Amino acid sequence: MPENRISDPETWVDQFGDYLYNYALSRIQNPSTAEDMVQETFLAALRDRGNFKGLSTERTWLTSILKHKIIDHFRKMSREHPVDDLDSATDFTEDLFDEKGSWTLKPSNWNANPEKLVDRKEFWEILNHCLSDLSKRLALAFRLREIDGMNCDEICNVLKITPSNCWVMLYRARMSIRRCLEIKWFDVKAGEGSQ
Amino acid sequence: MNHWMFNCKEVTYMVSESLDRRLPFFKRIGIRMHLLMCKFCSRFRRQLLLLKEVSRAHGTHLEQFESPVTLSPEARSRIKQTMQQH
Repeated sequence: MPENRISDPETWVDQFGDYLYNYALSRIQNPSTAEDMVQETFLAALRDRGNFKGLSTERTWLTSILKHKIIDHFRKMSREHPVDDLDSATDFTEDLFDEKGSWTLKPSNWNANPEKLVDRKEFWEILNHCLSDLSKRLALAFRLREIDGMNCDEICNVLKITPSNCWVMLYRARMSIRRCLEIKWFDVKAGEGSQ
Repeated sequence: MNHWMFNCKEVTYMVSESLDRRLPFFKRIGIRMHLLMCKFCSRFRRQLLLLKEVSRAHGTHLEQFESPVTLSPEARSRIKQTMQQH
């Protein structure tokens, strides 16, 4: 593999600015904070560019710096706003089951092919929409776990929660997203198929 | 349905939990017994695994799937300026 050389920092904003901004915005949802993150990333990269070994692409290198910035941001937020979603949010999972714990809203047959799904842009839009319905902390826990692939120990560290909080938050996030996808994507598709 | 010793609600929680940590033996057996007999919880489990799989793909193909946004011209020039000062 050819060794990756670092390009002129003056070209970074045009080369990677939009990509990093998308990345930050998809996790932070606040445009001006996301812009700040991108700026801080470039500044940090400018300071550290001597350490760029060329083992990854520049974009991967910049993204990993941005990831750390985002995690620091979440840490700081968790310190400043230690709101506990588990107490404040109503637990909608109660509605899915009766008093004996059996399904009242039974999961429908999705009949889905994951390989086809990942190619569908509309599917991602629905998934993003379902994520945006969650409370911020639940959405964040889900993103960190399932999209960024962190484990619960790392998430606990970022969000300042206990492991059992982490499991409960992920459970609620998954329940909510599953139901949302069922309503907004799969049932609609099933309806189209039968007509 | 109340198969074995866990009900559907408990099983859904444990199925989710099993994606995040290794469950104790009795829970794994309890889930398995329940799933053998419960069509809906089996579906539920497949759906969570699907959600996990597509979410991961989402993370690795972010640039293709996110509806793309761009830095505003103001932000772009502000960042460039700040970089020049360093």
